[in-house]
Amino acid sequence: MAESNHWQLIPLDTFERPSAPATTAIQQAWSQLRKLFIAEEDDDVNPDEQDFPHYREFDLAPAVAAIDTCWDADEPPSVRFVISAPFSGSGAIFREWAKQNGYQQLEPPSLEQLGQADTDAWWQQQASERWLIDEFSSFWLRTTEHMQFMRALLPRLLRGELGTGVVVIDSWTFAFLHRAWPLSLPHCYCFAAATPELLKDSGVIASDKRLRNLAAKARGNLGVALALWAVEQDEERSLPRLPSEADDSTAFILYSLLLHHGLKGEYLQMVLPLMAANQLDVQLLRLQQNGIIDLDENKVWRINVYAYPDVREFLAARGFWLDGF
Amino acid sequence: MDTEKILGLFKEITSAVLIEIGVVFAVATLIVLASQRVLPWLAGHLHGKQRLFALALIPTIRVLVFIVAFVWVVPLVIEPSMQNMVAILGAAGLAIGFALKDYISSMAAGMVAVYELPYRPGDWIEVEGTYGEVKHIGMRAVEMVTPDDTVVFIPHLKLWTKLIFNANNGGPSLMCVADFYLHPEHDANVVKHLLEDVGLTSPYVQLSKPIVVVAKEEPWGTHYRLKAYPIDPRQQFQFMTDLTARGKNCLRALPVKFAQLSPEHAAQAGPY
Repeated sequence: MAESNHWQLIPLDTFERPSAPATTAIQQAWSQLRKLFIAEEDDDVNPDEQDFPHYREFDLAPAVAAIDTCWDADEPPSVRFVISAPFSGSGAIFREWAKQNGYQQLEPPSLEQLGQADTDAWWQQQASERWLIDEFSSFWLRTTEHMQFMRALLPRLLRGELGTGVVVIDSWTFAFLHRAWPLSLPHCYCFAAATPELLKDSGVIASDKRLRNLAAKARGNLGVALALWAVEQDEERSLPRLPSEADDSTAFILYSLLLHHGLKGEYLQMVLPLMAANQLDVQLLRLQQNGIIDLDENKVWRINVYAYPDVREFLAARGFWLDGF
Repeated sequence: MDTEKILGLFKEITSAVLIEIGVVFAVATLIVLASQRVLPWLAGHLHGKQRLFALALIPTIRVLVFIVAFVWVVPLVIEPSMQNMVAILGAAGLAIGFALKDYISSMAAGMVAVYELPYRPGDWIEVEGTYGEVKHIGMRAVEMVTPDDTVVFIPHLKLWTKLIFNANNGGPSLMCVADFYLHPEHDANVVKHLLEDVGLTSPYVQLSKPIVVVAKEEPWGTHYRLKAYPIDPRQQFQFMTDLTARGKNCLRALPVKFAQLSPEHAAQAGPY
């Protein structure tokens, strides 16, 4: 099992993104150049086009096995951090691992607890010896009032005051954390970049060269690779594109959604008070019409997996502070 | 120097030479005009360093084209010997120098500007109290647009004698400062940390750059300056508005009283 498992949990500083073959790099440069020159021709958005093929979910069992291979179960450090790129599935994998290993999944604090930085009240509701925080992005908001909880919690975790646990941090939150709380976190891990072998195991059947291209295009992110593959298989579909009206406000919304792994409308308004409510609504609806974001059943706005590569490129071109993946 | 000697400095101008000069002039003009149209359009679709690089290419291309055209045309007209060159260019230079001193000086400064880069298109500069974004660098003058959308033409001549303040110096980093004037009765450290967070939580802020808060005690209270960089220099005014609006709300919620400055104290304080 261990030999044929292509999932690997690795220390964060050893992560390497798959490099694109020269032809793919040229194709990407050409596609960027084309985008530049045909940017004015905006698509007439057809609502049917939002109906993207649902990309195939991957099997969690080998990923969970990879965690056990990497980590010593007998002497765990007080806290281990797992950095998760969007759509990489790390949250789901660790929820499964926690279930198998008797780790309790902790609920995020309420907005009131965030505002008061009340880590005690939050902890006492659910204190346990072994725990999992599967989405650290819910433990803060980018406002002056809602960052203190995170700042109060992290030292307590590192001092071992809350027992033994695992924290899954979204890669965009982690990048921001470097700036907001500039202490290098110990015991940081992530899943190694997707390889052609892992893509094959996940059901993508193609030549090695094509798989390498796919892995490079998805920056080693398995979830994104599977989504790109699903679209490639359907000739009638194409990846969503940002509307030509995309401006600074659009960029702020997209960045905030990535930073918090999705946000409800009212939280988005708290994070971006400079935007009037109606202006925010127009932007959100336009992005939804273009298939860039989705509103889930909990009324949380999230970036669509199919749009993620384009959104990342858009933010990179504007000089935003990006994640490390 | 008699007329025959002067005529001997020049080559015989045939119709073929005239056509060649015409073609060189036309091609040079086309290249310069094309660069002035295409590169600003391209820059409009780019951001950050790439945008500034595309804009900076415009004057460089013009000077290069000018030099190539000059080197091409002069040997077609003048017998290319050192003696002839010195005689003709010296005489021409003297005449032009007297007649069009300022114009030529501005053009020379324009050439120096391309080499020394005191300002490039896309830079935010201040010359003699006028602040704005450099939109175009011409042969004689630099065209600047103020935040109130007024176009100002500044001759390159100013380069020789005046101070040129460049806020971003060819890069995307431009420091913005938001001022807060508070009543002296408050905890300065709390205010400092709060203002740092105001900077950190602005969607405009460039997170790779430092956010600094400095305080200075004045007779009327405490003057705080929140210094940070926007992601794009063009966002500087929205950025400062965001810092001021959110900073005021947070300080009011702390609560901290704002200083009531009398008119004599409201005079512009020096930077620190």
